[in-house]
Amino acid sequence: MKPFDIVIVGGGGAGLYAAMEAMKTNPSLNIAVLSKVYPNRSHTSAAQGGANAALANKAKDDTVELHIFDTIKGSDYLADQDAVEVLCSEAPKIIRELDNMGTPWSRMDDNTIAQRPFGGAGRPRCCYCADKTGHTILQTLYEQCLKKGVQFFNEYFALSLSVNGSRMRGLLALNIKTGKVEAFASKTVIFATGGYAKMYWNRSSNAAGNTGDGQAIAYRAGIPLKDMEFVQFHPTGLRKSGLLVTEGARGEGGYLVNRDGERFMARYAKEKMELGPRDLVARSLETEILEGRGFDSPAGKYIHLDLTHLGADLIKSRLPQIREMSMQFEGVDPIEEPIPVRPTAHYSMGGIDTDNFGRTVMGGVYAAGECGCVSVHGANRLGGNSLLDILVFGRIAGRTAAEEVGKFAPGIIPESEIAEKAEELRSFMKPSGHYERYGALREELGQTLAMNVGIFREAPLLRKGIDDIAALRERYQHVRVFDTSDVYNTNLIQVLELKNMLDLAETVAAGAYAREESRGSHTRVDFPVRDDEKWHRHTVATLENGKVALGEKPVTMGRYELQERTY
Amino acid sequence: MTVTEPHIEEAKKDITFRVFRFNPQIDSKPYYDDYTIQVERGITVLRSLNYIKEHLDATVSFRAFCQAGICGSCAMRVNGLSKLACTTQVWEVLEKCREPNVIKVEPLRNLPLVKDLIVDMDPLVDKMKHYSNWVESTMPEEKMGKKEFLISEEEFLKYDKATDCILCASCVSECSILRANSEYVSPAVLLKSYRMNSDSRDAIHDVRLAELVKDHGVWDCTHCYRCQETCVKSIPIMDAIHGIREDAIERRGMKDTSGSKHAEAFMSDIEKKGKLVEATLPIRTNGMAWTLKNLLPMAMKMIVKRRTPPPPPLVKPTKGIRVFRSMFREMSEHVREDHKSHNK
Repeated sequence: MKPFDIVIVGGGGAGLYAAMEAMKTNPSLNIAVLSKVYPNRSHTSAAQGGANAALANKAKDDTVELHIFDTIKGSDYLADQDAVEVLCSEAPKIIRELDNMGTPWSRMDDNTIAQRPFGGAGRPRCCYCADKTGHTILQTLYEQCLKKGVQFFNEYFALSLSVNGSRMRGLLALNIKTGKVEAFASKTVIFATGGYAKMYWNRSSNAAGNTGDGQAIAYRAGIPLKDMEFVQFHPTGLRKSGLLVTEGARGEGGYLVNRDGERFMARYAKEKMELGPRDLVARSLETEILEGRGFDSPAGKYIHLDLTHLGADLIKSRLPQIREMSMQFEGVDPIEEPIPVRPTAHYSMGGIDTDNFGRTVMGGVYAAGECGCVSVHGANRLGGNSLLDILVFGRIAGRTAAEEVGKFAPGIIPESEIAEKAEELRSFMKPSGHYERYGALREELGQTLAMNVGIFREAPLLRKGIDDIAALRERYQHVRVFDTSDVYNTNLIQVLELKNMLDLAETVAAGAYAREESRGSHTRVDFPVRDDEKWHRHTVATLENGKVALGEKPVTMGRYELQERTY
Repeated sequence: MTVTEPHIEEAKKDITFRVFRFNPQIDSKPYYDDYTIQVERGITVLRSLNYIKEHLDATVSFRAFCQAGICGSCAMRVNGLSKLACTTQVWEVLEKCREPNVIKVEPLRNLPLVKDLIVDMDPLVDKMKHYSNWVESTMPEEKMGKKEFLISEEEFLKYDKATDCILCASCVSECSILRANSEYVSPAVLLKSYRMNSDSRDAIHDVRLAELVKDHGVWDCTHCYRCQETCVKSIPIMDAIHGIREDAIERRGMKDTSGSKHAEAFMSDIEKKGKLVEATLPIRTNGMAWTLKNLLPMAMKMIVKRRTPPPPPLVKPTKGIRVFRSMFREMSEHVREDHKSHNK
């Protein structure tokens, strides 16, 4: 294969925007997009609610400045303020650009793009297409990429960066359809592989493949990860499956109700009620459940999300997917009865440490979207800011890589490295006396994370979590792949994904244990207050001698001083 | 559409999944493997397959990703019908088992088989490219991002349902035309084409339409409605196909293909006689040369067996043709009116 100028790993919103923008910046570049699924399957499609932008279509007094403030406050002041400024000021432009390319945004009476209220936002600024916003954005981007003739390598699983000394020379990936390890020599690589919240397994809203592949590859290549302990729990996952009920359901006026029939959010966020920020609403739900005010069922304790008062018309027109999912996965029609929900691991605020241009510490390696951490979400992401993040920073990373490509020499990946990698994969298939099942390890990883590194954290639990993860990593040495065929070996892929989750779980638990304060999504029962003195800073996790080493990085401040965060 | 069937009382059952197996590296032809597991009510087909893969046979291969019915990865045939494994409740398909409690799981049809339940999606992607399934914006790229288009609720509603499509390819699998002709455009691609052609932001409506009316295009559909019946997002795909056809007739007249000529011949027969003049239908659809070349042997056989349809002069108008004609005119008028308001 001819060496590439840019290899983009991941075909979701960030990856596709990066590809388009890179082509636009310099049409002569040789660009590849690798994705382990067909790009239109990417998890961007699952984002229901919308993307924030101060278009001021709905609230005429909305401004970029207000969006910036809401985002910084929402982040519990851990976001870098210069990055947030980029995010929010680019927002109206990027929403309009998508509109200009064909995204079917819902419309208001005056035919402008519709906007609705979302958690933690002072104005209704979330642009949406019914409750399929991410899906329609992903479709638009995929269509535009097909139009532009982007080179896709579909169903390729990224394995490792090829690094010589400190020089990156490309990427190794498994061609899933043939089982061959292939080398993608390239001047630059952009990671856009999405989040890592699937490590919570059954207590996660994420797709099966949100296993943090890009973060794990970067981490193993020595690139630092930032703020990994911040995992957002979405307040309203379906009880049985963890699948998500969009915040839009509350944006449209849904109530959260406990077994006493009480709208309990009045006790936690008097003013914003159900539309408080996600971390706060998730903690409130969990508290209600822990204190015995939840409902009981064999599938676990839960809370009611009541939409019945909204009426059939509104539910059918604005929340059709939610209705369908409630019926399919819970057997409940939200027009008739409340939906059973409980918090579910949803989003990773942490990720590959990048600057505002998507650059990492390693020359030629970039990251964007949920995979990266700029950081614009700090300790807690606001609803509607994640689609925005992948679009804005996907585009910036694509542009930056295209502009900087000349700084990096084309790499050559030695044949021996490819052969070694192929041998490493085959070694999972060798029969041995004692072996471990990947399914069991994955399940146990999810359980220990949910129990010990979940919404409410404290030192003894976290120590238990760290020990459990270490034990699971040990057992992983004996995991076995039973499918020995080359063609489409999903057994092998799942085992490789498990490794990525195990590596990252260690950084999440280590960060959570070290951070002795409560901030945003990270709640330490033993350190219940925010400690700005000691902890108003990012944690940075690096792999050193096979172990996670934690460092720190200051938070970039700007116009907004630290304040207490109340809603 | 609740998952529980009142007459099925048990909460657990032993279910056999009869899974289509084929590994091109080893197998010369496909076969089926049976896996029997205990399934609780409320469990989906995908969760059952996951269980089988984790506990009984790790080599069973299928795609799955979001597990929430939005990514479209896990489309497969369950008891003969194409659907998403992740949103299909085991209990829901039990009634359709040929053998009690044996659920057959097979790959989608009409796409090349890769392994077990996995098919190659590339042919579908290639067709999306061929039929320009994207908005070619009326706005030049350098002007983008400054101003939004103003789009009425009415226009949005025209393509709202069509944008629900998740490209799972269930409709592709069920399409009766694709079984006979793999080059046929495909229902999903027609749906997307319709969506693009209804969008006022798009500048290549006529180019796309010109491609759609060619051979293997929109006129090849035989209205079997199987695409629409199987659609996992309940999208009225046939409305889109009819929409493209109406649009084609409106803008291009009846001149395009055998398909449109066939439709025209149909219309004129029905208007004049209230029934078909079958003897000349092939000539009017495909021309004299084609008919002689392709249908002469069959015509000879029909003559021998005295099964030839009567020639046109002998086809008498049906009883009550006058009332029928006035109904026909009134209907045509309605359709025209409808069109006008659609295209506004």
